[in-house]
Amino acid sequence: MEIFNGLMGGFAVCLTPYNILMSFTGCLLGTMIGILPGLGPSATMAILIPITFGMDATPAMIMMCAVYYGAMYGGSTTSILVNVPGESSAVITAIEGHQLAKKGKAGTALGLCAIGSFTAGILGTLGLVAAAVPLADFSLKFGPAEFFSLILMGMLTIIFVGGKSIPKSLMSAVIGLGLGCVGTDIVEGKDRLTYGIAELLDGIDFVVLVMGTFGIGEVLVSAEEFRKVEPINVKFRELFPSLKEVIQVRWAVLRGTLIGFVIGVLPGAGPTIASFVSYGIEKTLHKHPETFGTGALEGLAGPESSNNAATSGAMVPMFALGIPGSGATAVMLGALILYGLKPGPMLFVENADFVWAVMASMFLGNIILIIMNLPLVPAFASLLRISYALIYPAILMICVIGAYAISTGLFDVGLMLMFGAAGYFMKKADIPPAPMLLALLLGPMMERSLYQALNLSYGSMLTFVTRPISATLLALSVLMAVSVGFKSVQRARALVTDEDKA
Amino acid sequence: MIKADRVFGIIGLVLSLWFYLESTKFNYMAEFTPGPGFFPFWVGVILAILSCWLLFDSFRRKPSKEDTKRVLPEKHALYRVGFIFLMLVGVRMFMPFLGFPITVCLFVAGILFSLERYGIGKSIGYGMAYAAVIWVIFEHFMEMGFPKGFLGI
Repeated sequence: MEIFNGLMGGFAVCLTPYNILMSFTGCLLGTMIGILPGLGPSATMAILIPITFGMDATPAMIMMCAVYYGAMYGGSTTSILVNVPGESSAVITAIEGHQLAKKGKAGTALGLCAIGSFTAGILGTLGLVAAAVPLADFSLKFGPAEFFSLILMGMLTIIFVGGKSIPKSLMSAVIGLGLGCVGTDIVEGKDRLTYGIAELLDGIDFVVLVMGTFGIGEVLVSAEEFRKVEPINVKFRELFPSLKEVIQVRWAVLRGTLIGFVIGVLPGAGPTIASFVSYGIEKTLHKHPETFGTGALEGLAGPESSNNAATSGAMVPMFALGIPGSGATAVMLGALILYGLKPGPMLFVENADFVWAVMASMFLGNIILIIMNLPLVPAFASLLRISYALIYPAILMICVIGAYAISTGLFDVGLMLMFGAAGYFMKKADIPPAPMLLALLLGPMMERSLYQALNLSYGSMLTFVTRPISATLLALSVLMAVSVGFKSVQRARALVTDEDKA
Repeated sequence: MIKADRVFGIIGLVLSLWFYLESTKFNYMAEFTPGPGFFPFWVGVILAILSCWLLFDSFRRKPSKEDTKRVLPEKHALYRVGFIFLMLVGVRMFMPFLGFPITVCLFVAGILFSLERYGIGKSIGYGMAYAAVIWVIFEHFMEMGFPKGFLGI
C-alpha cells in the first residue's frame, strides 16, 4: 500500500506540464546524441549534464533518466543501421540487428527493439519500485561498518566483473581512490594533494572526470579518422514488425526482462553482461541455434530487453543504497550529488517525493520513447548522414561549457582536458575508466564510513566482522576475490604449462 | 598491447610513489581512526603491487593476437587527435582574452578548415553559427556568465 501511495504521489509530481516537457526533452536529446556512432549512454549523459545545471533536482533527474533511456535506444538504432555499437551492451544488437537490416528488415529489427525495450522498461521499472523500497528499509539498519563493507563489495564486483584485465581494472579503481583523496580530509581537516590550489579544496568534481574521460576521450577516439557513415535506409511503413514476429519473440522478451533485471541489480554486473547472458540462453533454448549470428529475431529481442531491464535493475542499488551498479548509474549518482541530494536509504526518508517522482517518470519516459521513436526513426537515422565533422566540435564545446559551469572558472576546464587526454590513452590501452569514476565517487564515502565505524568502536577493527550484515558482505567480497584470483592463477598455470610443452 | 601494459605499469609505479610520498606529510593514524595519511598510503602501496603485477604479466605472457594490435593510431590519426587537443588547450588559454563567442568561432572554424578540409568561408560561417547558437542557449537563456574578452562580448 505504501508503494502504491508513493507511486501515485510520484505520478502527481511527474505529470505536470514542465516535468513532461523535461522527460520528452531528455528522451529526444538522449536519442539524438546516443545515435551518434561511438557515443554510449555514459558519454551521452556526461555530455548532457550541463543542460541540467540550474534546474531543480526533480526535473533535472527526470531529464537525466530520460536521457539514459533515450541514449540506450539511440545506441540500438546505430547498431542496427550502421553496425557501430556505442557501448559494449549494444554489441549483440549490432550482431543480430545489422544482419536483419542487411536482409532488408531494418524496420522489423528497429520495431522489435522498440517493443522489447518498452516492455522491459515498464516491467523493469515495476521491479525497481517493488525492490527499492524494501531494500531501502532494510538498509536503514546499516551502520558505518555495513556501508564500508557494502562499498568494498560493490567496488570489487565492478572491478572483477567489469573489465577484461583484472590488474588494469584494479589499477584504474585504485587511481580513482587516490583522486578521491584530493581535497580537505574529514579527519583533521588537512588539505591533501591540493598544492595550495583553492579550486581543489573540495576535491575533484566527478563531472570534470566524467566529461573528460567519457566525453572528450571518446570524441577524440572517434575523431581519429574521417568519418563517412552510410546508414541503411528505413522507411516509416516498414517500421512495424508483423504480429507473427511479435508473438514469436514474446517469451524471449519476457526472459530477457527477468534476466536483465536480476543481473542489473548486482553491482558491477550491468547491461553488457545481461545482454550476453540473455543471448546465450536464447541460443541454447532455440530450435535452430545455427540461425544466431544471421539475424535471429529472438537473438535480437531477448538481449535488447535484458539490456533495458538491467538499466532499471542497476538503479535499485543506486536509489536504495547509494551504490552505483554500473558506469552509467555512477554518472547518475554523481548527478544526484550535484543536485544537492544525498544518495542512499535516507533518500527515501528525506526526499521521498523526489524518488517517487523519478520512478514514476521512468514509466512516462518509456511511453514517450515508444511513441516518439518509432515514427521518428527515419528522421533520427538521417542524423547519421550529417557529417561527423560538424558534430564533434559541438560536443567538445558542450563539454567545455559543462566544465566551466561547475565553478564558473577555467580551472575545471583545464582539469577536464587533462582527464580527456588520460581518457583517450586509457581507451587506446584498453584500461576501463568506469572503475576510476566509481572509485572517485565511492572512495570518500568509503573513507568516511571507515572513520565513523572505527570511531564508534574505539578503534577496534573487529566491528567489521562481529556485526552480522557487515561480516556477510565482507565474506562475499573475500569469496569473490578468491574465486577470481583462483581463475587468474589457473590461467597463469595453463600459460606456463603451454610454454613448457612448447 | 604488451607495450601499453608496460607503459601503464611504469606510470602506475610513479603514481604509487607520488601517493606514498604525499601520505608521509600527514598522520597515519588519529586516536582511534585512520588519519589523513592512511588512505593515500594504502593507495600507494596497492598501486605499487598492482603495477608490479601488470609489469610482470606483460613480460611473462606470450603475445596474443590482441597484443599485436596497434595501440596508438597511425601518424595521420595521431596528428588529428593532437591538433584537436591543442585547439582545446587554446580555447582554455585564450577564452579570458578573446571572450567566449570568438573563441568558439575560432575553434570550430580552425577544426573545419585545417582538419576537415572545409573552405575558409564555410568554416568561418559554421564557426559563427555555432558560437551564436551556443551563446543564445547557454549565455542568454541559462546565464552561464562566460568570460567577456577585450571586445566586451
